Amino acid sequence: MSVDIQDLHQQWVGAECGSSSYDVNTDRLLAFANACGETDPRFIDPEDAEFQSTPGFTTIIVSGQGSEALPKDFPQFKGRSIDGGKSVEIHHPIRPGDTLTGKQTIADIYEKTGRSGKMVFVVHRTEFTNQDDQPVTTVDWRWITNLVED
Amino acid sequence: MRYSDVELGDELPTENPDVSMARIIQFVELTGWKFPRFTDHEFARAEGLPGAIVPGIMSQGLLAAMIHRWAPGCRIKKLDTVFRTPMVVDSQPVCSAAVTDCDDDTNTVELDITVVTEEGATSVLGTALVQFG
Repeated sequence: MSVDIQDLHQQWVGAECGSSSYDVNTDRLLAFANACGETDPRFIDPEDAEFQSTPGFTTIIVSGQGSEALPKDFPQFKGRSIDGGKSVEIHHPIRPGDTLTGKQTIADIYEKTGRSGKMVFVVHRTEFTNQDDQPVTTVDWRWITNLVED
Repeated sequence: MRYSDVELGDELPTENPDVSMARIIQFVELTGWKFPRFTDHEFARAEGLPGAIVPGIMSQGLLAAMIHRWAPGCRIKKLDTVFRTPMVVDSQPVCSAAVTDCDDDTNTVELDITVVTEEGATSVLGTALVQFG
């Protein structure tokens, strides 16, 4: 399969992948924090004045979607795809009662060649805002496909 | 821990996080990722994995928790992690981190963060940007 990265980049970077809404509640914040072994009262004590989400909380909203997170007409690559990692930038605390909106776009497409051949990296970005339109987090998800040549 | 206590090259106390099956089940119940590759060793091995694996974003959370214990009250501004080698559930991984940059203007430090499997393979690596009050 021949993939022209420049063409893909030109056609798809900046493309919108949709948006989603998510209601934040105390139970979910606590469950995530406890599963990750947090001990700081800001994350595990709802009575703490600064009670808020742990930094990576919004990654659970964008994860687990696989290639379904990409636009429906995005090219299907032949090869094994893996989750290459995530970056989360925290702009503002997330608290119980917040309603988050995640706007999803393709932020970058690039390729690398390793021992196992050519790999395509698609960076899927979700910019979360709260009910006051205040940016809270930006999550970048690197989706890697190890291309199989025909 | 205050910003003035931090020096370039400082290493955070290493941790052996809890990646027991009970903890993983707690995590997947929250996320709704009830994929057997996270909770069933035999199923995961049949998929070619070394055993049931710890979800990547959970390993990111383990690293964040370690940073919060090192510097209570700090704010993690950014976490960037790359998932390299599967981390097996019920194993004994090691989380570690070291200070690689300090910015006196913003009281911010950058950390290199790593999770290594009990076999010594790098499972997760990345960076964290941490701001002190």
